[in-house]
Amino acid sequence: MKTTVDARGLACPQPVLLAKKAIAENEEVIVLVDNPIAVENIRRLAEKAACGFSVADKGGGTLEIALTRKRVTDLMPVDSEAIVEELSCASAQEKGPGPFVVVLSDNHMGRGDDVLGDVLIQSFIHTLLQLNPLPDTIICYNAGVKLAAKDSAVLDDLQQLVQAGVNILVCGTCVNYFTLGEKIAVGHISNMYDIAETMAGASRLVRP
Amino acid sequence: MEQQKYIVFLFPSVSHTLKAEKILKEQGIAHKLIPVPRHIGSDCGVCLRVTADRQDAAESALQGRVNWEEMVFL
Repeated sequence: MKTTVDARGLACPQPVLLAKKAIAENEEVIVLVDNPIAVENIRRLAEKAACGFSVADKGGGTLEIALTRKRVTDLMPVDSEAIVEELSCASAQEKGPGPFVVVLSDNHMGRGDDVLGDVLIQSFIHTLLQLNPLPDTIICYNAGVKLAAKDSAVLDDLQQLVQAGVNILVCGTCVNYFTLGEKIAVGHISNMYDIAETMAGASRLVRP
Repeated sequence: MEQQKYIVFLFPSVSHTLKAEKILKEQGIAHKLIPVPRHIGSDCGVCLRVTADRQDAAESALQGRVNWEEMVFL
């Protein structure tokens, strides 16, 4: 059985996913694509699925990829999710337009031991200063707001981050809950609208 | 700020570092727990940093109570 898939004009990862579906159902598949990223992704699929791969430039921006299975049993099962994860989709690689956001949702780093978690969060925040690029925004919520309080061991690091242009949002509800009102020494007291919006608009969200 | 000279104390373990931190805190010696600078060690370690002018105070506070492995100028 032979089939042709026209994946021209489709955004990554559609072409490789269509190709995968087609080669699972047919012994020979011709995939038409219009960009080198799709070619590369489908070439990787072919490697993984152990099927034949060739590509020809058909002119007019169309690239014709031929996938062939030698025997039905040759086809290695390939997990779609694994493919998508490894894709070199341009959109996934580019730094998106949204900001780089660090979320401090606790005053410890990781779970298991709070004494250790305390050491780790201090190390982490100190190290943020050396990141390039720096985060655009740091959001503190839940016990994370304690990091922005007067007696916090990381207060000076957070202050230096602010000086370096980092915006720090401190959850007002949380400050109120922990009665830290007068103690917050860095950042802006903020609300869930700003917090949710900033998190939703982030291109990268890092939570230690 | 950039011109500030620091000393870091490196300890054999995280618990030694924490013990030393506690001592410095008790003695009111300003200090900072930081990751071991990359050029000194690549282990996932932490160390204590004090400003150079607090070196003597920190040393005498820790002397005989917690052994440090190394003291490095930054």
